[in-house]
Amino acid sequence: MEALGINGSFLLVQIVNLIIVYVVVSKWIVGPIISMLEKRRETIAQGIEDARVAADARANAEKEAEKIIAEAQTKASKVVRDANERAESVARDVKSAAEAEAGKAREKALAGVEEERARILGDLRGQVAALSIAAAQKLVNDALDEKRQRALIDEFFTGVKAGKIVVLEDASLTGATAEVTSALPLTSAEQESAKKDVLAKTGAQAVSFKVDPSILGGLVIKVGDKVVDGSVSGKLEGLRASLR
Amino acid sequence: MTGTPKQKVWGRWVVLAAFVLGLYLFTGFFGFGLAIPVVMPAVVLPTEPLTEIIHTPLGEFFLSGTLVALLIADAAIIAIALGISAAVKKGDLILTGIVGAVEALLEMLHGMTEGTAGKWTKQIFPWFATITLLVMIANWTELLPGVETIGRLVQDEKGHYELQQVGPIQSIINPAEDGHAAEGEHHEGWHLYPFVRVVSTDLNFTVALALVAVVMIQYFGIKSQGLAYFSKFWATGTVFSKPIFGVIDFGVGLLEIVSEFSKVLSFAFRLFGNIFAGSVLLFVIGSLVPVFAQSIFYLLEFFVGAIQAFVFGLLAMTFMAQATQGHGGEHHEEAHA
Amino acid sequence: MDANAAKLIGAGLAMIGAIGAGAGIGIVASGAVQAMGRNPDATGTIQTNMILGIAFAEAVAIYCLVVALLILFVF
Repeated sequence: MEALGINGSFLLVQIVNLIIVYVVVSKWIVGPIISMLEKRRETIAQGIEDARVAADARANAEKEAEKIIAEAQTKASKVVRDANERAESVARDVKSAAEAEAGKAREKALAGVEEERARILGDLRGQVAALSIAAAQKLVNDALDEKRQRALIDEFFTGVKAGKIVVLEDASLTGATAEVTSALPLTSAEQESAKKDVLAKTGAQAVSFKVDPSILGGLVIKVGDKVVDGSVSGKLEGLRASLR
Repeated sequence: MTGTPKQKVWGRWVVLAAFVLGLYLFTGFFGFGLAIPVVMPAVVLPTEPLTEIIHTPLGEFFLSGTLVALLIADAAIIAIALGISAAVKKGDLILTGIVGAVEALLEMLHGMTEGTAGKWTKQIFPWFATITLLVMIANWTELLPGVETIGRLVQDEKGHYELQQVGPIQSIINPAEDGHAAEGEHHEGWHLYPFVRVVSTDLNFTVALALVAVVMIQYFGIKSQGLAYFSKFWATGTVFSKPIFGVIDFGVGLLEIVSEFSKVLSFAFRLFGNIFAGSVLLFVIGSLVPVFAQSIFYLLEFFVGAIQAFVFGLLAMTFMAQATQGHGGEHHEEAHA
Repeated sequence: MDANAAKLIGAGLAMIGAIGAGAGIGIVASGAVQAMGRNPDATGTIQTNMILGIAFAEAVAIYCLVVALLILFVF
């Protein structure tokens, strides 16, 4: 053994050294490296797991997005439909309201017209009654023939008798302007004669003609500030006053 | 353009200069060389003392070149340990540089251990790693320049070299060495005690490794199987029930005991033989062709050193794993019961 | 004959045993390489077993080496 160099003390030293190296290696080399391998394995597994989770999440997100888009689309179409419906209903309302208004206005107008007509008719009736009374009076006083009847009527309505204005026979009026009011429009011949008469009698420069059915008949002549009432209504008034 | 090509050129010049220097020193090739005679090395088995010899109850003790190499290997392992601790503490998951290489090696070894030892990986792997790392680094100290060629010159009756002064260096004629240093011993008694000698060429180292490995194999066997582990060696269970096979089993058991001892022997001498032969090869080649030829064998020795370390560790690991599984251990257990 | 010369011759003869180990290692490696060629997936297991087999074959050569060393340095 000695010749091979094997020697107890060296052997002991080598064994002790080997044990020390074992401790160093197992504690500071193998330990950290095994834990690192473990950690690396875990990290890789974790990474794979993470990637899987991420892929799942992405798939979910895509599905979610699709769902959201579909929802949005349905909602949008619903909103549009609602808006359309509301617009239609509003339009209908407006239209119906307008129609109702229009109908009311028409009704109101119709009512107004009706009322007016009723009033006018009422007036006419009153006037006709007055006319009848006047005509009856005339009839009683004068014998009638054809010609005379017409003249009477004319005279009645115009107050012009034989080219002369009846009311002006016994009145003296002077003024710059004269206004002749008749119940019915005068014929041009009558106007001419009336004009001539008025001009001659009053000395007025201009004569204007006016029609007012409410005087019933005869003429009302206004010269300057003065009025000569030769109208049937005026006469009726006088009659009414005398009858009272 | 600047960095790498320049470096390459520089390296080439260095190699060329070393080559020319080698030629100049060791040959008279161009007629002006120093022509130092190349010395055939003395093949010495025991390590040589660098200090005074201390007598201990266990035997002589002194600081030898192999112990210096062992300390270098230890320092390298501690440096690696520090590097790995620092890197792991920093939280790196991927190591780089030498530490990364060590990590890759250990990862490979760990995979092998897992495949072989199964649930005992945690206990067995540190031994595998320790043996492989230590032996590998120890083997590679062989490749350092100056190892086994620079040393203390001693004159005694065993030496048979002559001294020669080469510039500032004292050298020996006859058994001189290549490279940077020369070694020498006088005919009357000079010889060289190298400062650093590869620790694997010291049988103490390999025997210590082998002893520890075999003891740990028994330890794992007992730990996993209890006393039933010993039934492997003392197979008396079947002697009476099946006499013929029982006798054979008994004989096999005795052979198992022998094989445990031969494990020590084969472990120790495999490593020792390979590395010792390698270092002898290196300086024989160096003495025959002092310049350049050694480089090729350096490459070879690099591989041999790595493979022997790996084989040592792998065998220790495999034997440990086998011990935990037992050689038909259950069968023997039943027999005992 | 010089005892020293006999030692050297004996050591040389002892190493003849390495022939067997060399042949054995060659056979193991050849078988392993063939197996790996046929089943590349099992390379890891085969390599481990190959190294184990080589180690056992090499053990013989190691015994030879031990004997040679003993002859050279011990006796």
